[in-house]
Amino acid sequence: MGSKAAAKRKSVKKKAAAKEESAAATKFVKEWSTWAMKKAKVITHYGFIPLVIIIGMNSDPKPSIAQLLSPV
Amino acid sequence: MATLIPPSPAASTTPPAAGSNPAATEPQKVDYLDLPCPIPYEEIHREALMSLKPELFEGLRFDFMKGLNQKFSLSHSVMMGPTEVPSQSSDVIKVPTANYEFGANFIDPKLMLFGRVMTDGRLSARLKCDLAENLTLKGNAQLTNEPHMSHGMFNFDYKGSDYRTQVQLGNGALLGASYIQSVTPHLSLGGEVFWAGQHRKSGIGYAARYNTDKMVATGQVASTGMVALGYVQKVSEKISLASDFMYNYMSRDVTASFGYDCILRQCRLRGKIDSNGVVSAFLEERLNMGLNFLLSAEIDHKKKDYKFGFGLTVGE
Repeated sequence: MGSKAAAKRKSVKKKAAAKEESAAATKFVKEWSTWAMKKAKVITHYGFIPLVIIIGMNSDPKPSIAQLLSPV
Repeated sequence: MATLIPPSPAASTTPPAAGSNPAATEPQKVDYLDLPCPIPYEEIHREALMSLKPELFEGLRFDFMKGLNQKFSLSHSVMMGPTEVPSQSSDVIKVPTANYEFGANFIDPKLMLFGRVMTDGRLSARLKCDLAENLTLKGNAQLTNEPHMSHGMFNFDYKGSDYRTQVQLGNGALLGASYIQSVTPHLSLGGEVFWAGQHRKSGIGYAARYNTDKMVATGQVASTGMVALGYVQKVSEKISLASDFMYNYMSRDVTASFGYDCILRQCRLRGKIDSNGVVSAFLEERLNMGLNFLLSAEIDHKKKDYKFGFGLTVGE
């Protein structure tokens, strides 16, 4: 009976350790994805309009910088 | 932004299939294997929305669109006027604001980029990209400098011969999928499911759309309690009438509205009257090539809120 209880305690501890490991892994993935989303948000915020302008300035027929900056 | 004049309702109804007859006198047999592709699920109320919900504004609005080439254009837009601040009481509190918005658009058959940035740092961006012949990626984002106030959403659309499906991913763990199928040349049925992780809400909805050359009738029901019905009838080439009924059976909120849309050679006039006591009108007058004059009015008799606006749009 003692050995059964000991085996039960051992399996419970193993399960708890496995759960802790998977919990740590999901926490790591969540933290890393949150960091990535924050960086993506900042990059999009500052870079979207310049990206559209660069793509537009390189399309045919190529407009000139003077056309981009002049108000008319 | 009135940067693009919305297409007329005549051009927006789905093209007739091989089964229906534009000119023949005897009815042709419906070919159920060759039905037209239906309207995308989120645009199912498109005609009613175009007629009943113009972009009403208050104050001054000036838009200048400068095309640098066929595909690329810049836009400068100034808006001055009171904006509503949400308040607890039923009073309407308005704060005068003025802002300038710079925008850049790139429109290509395969890729469309649309970006607008305001002086206070708010960016609204749209992207539409054809990844394959039938698969399209669409993205939409509203980014601000304030934390937790930004939203973004991506959609993957697949267009089949007579059906469309869409998968949506948004921030705040928003997941959605929708499917719409043409059942006869005039009738299309669709459904959607969504799951919002942040609010722990999920929902399912169904929609149906029946359209002929002269009329469009749509109905939509959702498990969030919303029931929306719409009917648009094209009375003549230039005039169409629209009506809309929205009912929320959870919050017992009912709104019915009735409006008209006149598209004439030089102008487009849309007017609407609502069951909430709101009367509104929107006029776009083409003064010259590339010069449009806008007048917008919205009178809310119940809340005693009167909004009048005028504007000018220069450039296509």
